[in-house]
Amino acid sequence: MEFKKIINIFTNIFKKPFDKDNFDIKNILCTLSIVFSSVIAIIGFASTTTGFYVGDSFVRVSLIVLALLFSALIYLSYIRINKKRKILALIIFVIFVFLLAYYLPLFPPQYELRQFDVDASILKFMITSIVLIIVGVTGASLSMKPLYNFTSKSSQMSAYYILVVSILLIIYPLMLLVGNIIANGIGGISWEFLTQDIMKLGTEGGIFPALIGTLLIMIGTALVALPLGIGCAIYLQEYAKKGLITRVISICVDILQGTPSIVHGLFGLALFVPIFGISLLSGVLIMGFLTLPIIIRASEEALRSVPQNIREGAYAVGATKWQTIKTVVLPPALPGIITGSVLGVGRAAGETAPIMFTAVYFFGAGIPQSPFDAIHALPYHLLELTKLIGYKPVEQNAWATALLLLSIVLGMNAIAIIVREKFRVEF
Amino acid sequence: MLLSRNIKEKLIENFFLVIAASSIFIILFIFYFLFQGALPAFQNLGVDLFGTEWSVSQGKFGLTAAIFGTLIVTAGAMLIAIPLGILGAIFLAELAPHKLRVILKPIIELLAGIPSIVYGFIGAVLLVPFLQPSFDMLSGYSFLAGSMILGIMALPIIISMSDEAIKAVPRNYKEASLAVGATKWQTIKKITIPSAISGISAAVVMGMGRAIGETMAVSLVLGNIMKIPAPPFDIFETTGTTLTALIVHDMGEATGIQVNALFVAAVILFIIVAILSISSNILRERIERKFKGA
Repeated sequence: MEFKKIINIFTNIFKKPFDKDNFDIKNILCTLSIVFSSVIAIIGFASTTTGFYVGDSFVRVSLIVLALLFSALIYLSYIRINKKRKILALIIFVIFVFLLAYYLPLFPPQYELRQFDVDASILKFMITSIVLIIVGVTGASLSMKPLYNFTSKSSQMSAYYILVVSILLIIYPLMLLVGNIIANGIGGISWEFLTQDIMKLGTEGGIFPALIGTLLIMIGTALVALPLGIGCAIYLQEYAKKGLITRVISICVDILQGTPSIVHGLFGLALFVPIFGISLLSGVLIMGFLTLPIIIRASEEALRSVPQNIREGAYAVGATKWQTIKTVVLPPALPGIITGSVLGVGRAAGETAPIMFTAVYFFGAGIPQSPFDAIHALPYHLLELTKLIGYKPVEQNAWATALLLLSIVLGMNAIAIIVREKFRVEF
Repeated sequence: MLLSRNIKEKLIENFFLVIAASSIFIILFIFYFLFQGALPAFQNLGVDLFGTEWSVSQGKFGLTAAIFGTLIVTAGAMLIAIPLGILGAIFLAELAPHKLRVILKPIIELLAGIPSIVYGFIGAVLLVPFLQPSFDMLSGYSFLAGSMILGIMALPIIISMSDEAIKAVPRNYKEASLAVGATKWQTIKKITIPSAISGISAAVVMGMGRAIGETMAVSLVLGNIMKIPAPPFDIFETTGTTLTALIVHDMGEATGIQVNALFVAAVILFIIVAILSISSNILRERIERKFKGA
């Protein structure tokens, strides 16, 4: 859809009441009620997150005003439209809002659920703000109906309103997460933090060994997973004929992709630790297996996007299959393959569970001298610091570690997306 | 010359076949080593593994509490993630203008890449201290916190997979509906979503698999007490753990038969998630086949 069109949909709500040609008091009331409901919902939302109670009289007055607005709308719609049945939803809503306006402020400040053995109580501010959010969103969405005269367009507008609200609800916690980490972590990042050793359980000093450990994990994972992953994708996409073996390989890749990281961790503990000990090598092998499916799927996708006629052109001039793959198919597929590989390696940088029993020690693991030494890693460091919060002053370092980890992982992801968009080969 | 060239080609093909078969071997290895780790527990404990009591000192290792915890936390997470995820995907695929879409889609993909330990850290320092006074809970570490974190974590994967499924619905389906005078929303509701439903279910199943297998985030916001809360639906209680959190929490200090019991937990997880991934892919293949001709 065009950008202008969607803007129009929502500006229409505000333009309609001021349309001189067919002026209508109903339209003004509708717009008012949409704005008013949205404000109620926003206040409710702010109240949930801050724990601030808006007050009995505010709840009562705002709900009654909303109900009165709706009653007027119902009356105005009732005398105009033929299918009176369509107003029913609005009438139910008004009755509901009137009841809430009376009963909601009567709710006790704290309703104990402990009498039913449930370890919580319903606090007044919480129940009120949740009700305000629900009433606000429903009210705004329902006011679209009289604004568009109960046509099929009106239900479209109601639905659009809900969709916009839901995308805001999705973005909010995720932005909260990223925003908080940046705001709290940025103060802790310094040259000393990056280059000093971990001191006193992470309360002082830096995170140098963890940083080096994570970089080694990333490099090692690439060394293990890239040859296997790209090779597997080449076989599946270029050589394999549809049959039992491809089907089985494909199912195995799917299972591998879904396998929980903790299961990989136990697998590594059972297979690699007895052979290589708790070491970089064990961790890297496990991470390689973990990222393998990501690389296979991305490379397959990249190879599939190379059109068949390019291959046939190469065969026509006498190239063998391998020569064709090497010189004609792989080069244009490379950006896609790189994207998948960077994504996979980025994932390896952030995983904790697979390495926590196979590669890391919190105490004593410095810079590894050989692949058979234990390492330290950023995600594991963050785990240990999180457990220490409340017992030791580690919070500043924990936020900084979280920010560093997040930047490495999201940085890798961003590189992958840029490579995909910039070097995309169009056929 | 020609013969040696053919032999070389055959060799290369077989070389790639061996590499490709590595994924089969990895799965077989995982299966074998997990079962090998779990076997002593099956032999010694038998059906007691599915009892309700978990006590290291008494040598009782019943996994029911963790299985129950996994189910309830996943159900809670899905309650948050399914409606929001599908609505978000509809917005992204059908409503968002192109300029907004090219910004939102990569952002959601980026969010899918945030490491679970970061979610866990945020859950422990922001969500738990927020929930505790809001519901007057004992500690804030609870199934509720676990469900919320997992719900948020499962969102990006559900959104981006459902978005792809909705985008894959052929244009002519929608155009036919619009041509007979349906509004855009009627088309979405009656044509687009029903056609994409198997793709959307694949997304939901995938998100569910991710929620079940998620470890670090959930272990940091749960109470990690291996017991079924009383009453069982009490999502506010500090009691309760999941299969993944149980493994992470106990593996460090576990010895003897307890280690084997934890391997049983891993076997259960592996089997559940494998079934979910396979069914998700069957659903996805079905939608691909359906739209091939259109």
